[in-house]
Amino acid sequence: MISSLPKSYRTEADPLPTPAPDRTTAPTAELPIKAQLRSVGFYYEKFQALKNINLALHDRRVTAFIGPSGCGKSTLLRVLNRIYQLYPGQHATGEVLVDGENILAAGIDLNRLRARIGMVFQKPTPFPMSIYDNIAFGIRLYERLPKSELADRVESALQRAALWTEVKDKLKQSGLSLSGGQQQRLCIARAIAVQPEILLLDEPASALDPISTQRIEELIAELKGDYCIAIVTHNMQQAARSSDYTAFMYLGELVEFDETERIFTHPKERRTEDYITGRFG
Amino acid sequence: MSSEHMIKGYDEELRRLNNTITEMGGLAESQLGAAIEAVVERDSELAASVVEGDAKVDQLQRDLDNLALRLLALRQPVARDLREIFAALKIGSDLERMCDYAANVAKRAIALNQSPPAQPVYALPRMARLAELLVKDVIDAYVARDADKAYAVWMRDEELDEMYASLFRELLTYMMEDPRNISASTHLLFMAKNIERIGDHATNIAEDLYYLVHGTPLTQKRPKGDNSSLEVIKPGRVQP
Repeated sequence: MISSLPKSYRTEADPLPTPAPDRTTAPTAELPIKAQLRSVGFYYEKFQALKNINLALHDRRVTAFIGPSGCGKSTLLRVLNRIYQLYPGQHATGEVLVDGENILAAGIDLNRLRARIGMVFQKPTPFPMSIYDNIAFGIRLYERLPKSELADRVESALQRAALWTEVKDKLKQSGLSLSGGQQQRLCIARAIAVQPEILLLDEPASALDPISTQRIEELIAELKGDYCIAIVTHNMQQAARSSDYTAFMYLGELVEFDETERIFTHPKERRTEDYITGRFG
Repeated sequence: MSSEHMIKGYDEELRRLNNTITEMGGLAESQLGAAIEAVVERDSELAASVVEGDAKVDQLQRDLDNLALRLLALRQPVARDLREIFAALKIGSDLERMCDYAANVAKRAIALNQSPPAQPVYALPRMARLAELLVKDVIDAYVARDADKAYAVWMRDEELDEMYASLFRELLTYMMEDPRNISASTHLLFMAKNIERIGDHATNIAEDLYYLVHGTPLTQKRPKGDNSSLEVIKPGRVQP
């Protein structure tokens, strides 16, 4: 170990190497907080699906939400871009501060919000149009770009989603002609084409085969360099592999929220332990 | 172990892991006991059976490793289950090592029996009894998942270290008094060292158990009762 060398062995030109940034040991304080949830609650009509949720999503980090079916993890994701407002009778309480601005407040431009906070669903949802237009559609909504610039944006989104080499020769084909895994990456490309700040992934790989799943996980690892990512997953190993932080939810409550490594080696809460070790009755 | 898994086979495999450790612990205790009896009674046959018995422990450790690997590969354990398997692997290799030391003591007993009885060394069986007790206690602690009891073992190893240090000086004196004692005393000294090492492995197990129960390592500094590694004898002090 170089660090144990006596001081005289080192020169000014040869300083101690700074350890490579390690996602599991990076001190939380150094990471900027992208979204702060404060006492968030949620109601489907009278049924309370979320109770007093407080947590922070860090920028350029992946936060995974795990818990048994019906625990409120998908609901929580739906709150973050207010997609629930498409349905009557659903409402959220509390505050979600994104860069200090409460996105649950009245007067927020919802289209703009959903471009800033992109979402990808469990089942791939390509539009029934060409691969090119699937990506260009969202960009055209917000920006008027010259044709060549638009083409650049489409290409870079497809490249970032690790799909470009597979589709570059068939951009005119329908998005529905792609395989399930490719469709899902197309949806991720579509979400990042409008240059969002936060990516919400709701079980993005649960309908995919293992190889496609690995591609998506690899993609998540790449994308977290630029985005704040929140992922809901039923696959505990996927949460362990791809996230920096893990939140365990149960019956609408946040039971435990900590660094992923800690959650999967020695969680503090008995309920977390029972769930992740498969002891939940 | 705490409450049960939804998958019964998982619990069954973890129980087997546990039972293997317990069986190895029992063997470590009895091997050490028999090895010391062989020394005290000058019983070479008993000593030979201890040396032979070591193969059984080695086999148990291989079984344990296979079972643990299988659990890691097929169950992808996390949290407490992961700590259970991690601890079992480490404890298994400590117990295997303890038995190696017991077999070493037995081998030296056979060598010792080739020459006439040397000076009586009361401290050796006393040391062995304490080592046996530490092994027994730490295995009991493992069975009960009792981190406090493990901690007590961890602290008590200091006593064994002190006994070793005093035996070291005693044997040194014999050797200085009469060079004809050197051969036997050296064997006895190595035996004492082996027993002292058994105690150290018991503290390793205590640390593993502490981590298993609490999820955090035992980082405190352990008291040391043996400074014999620093002792030197000046040539001038040697008796003619």
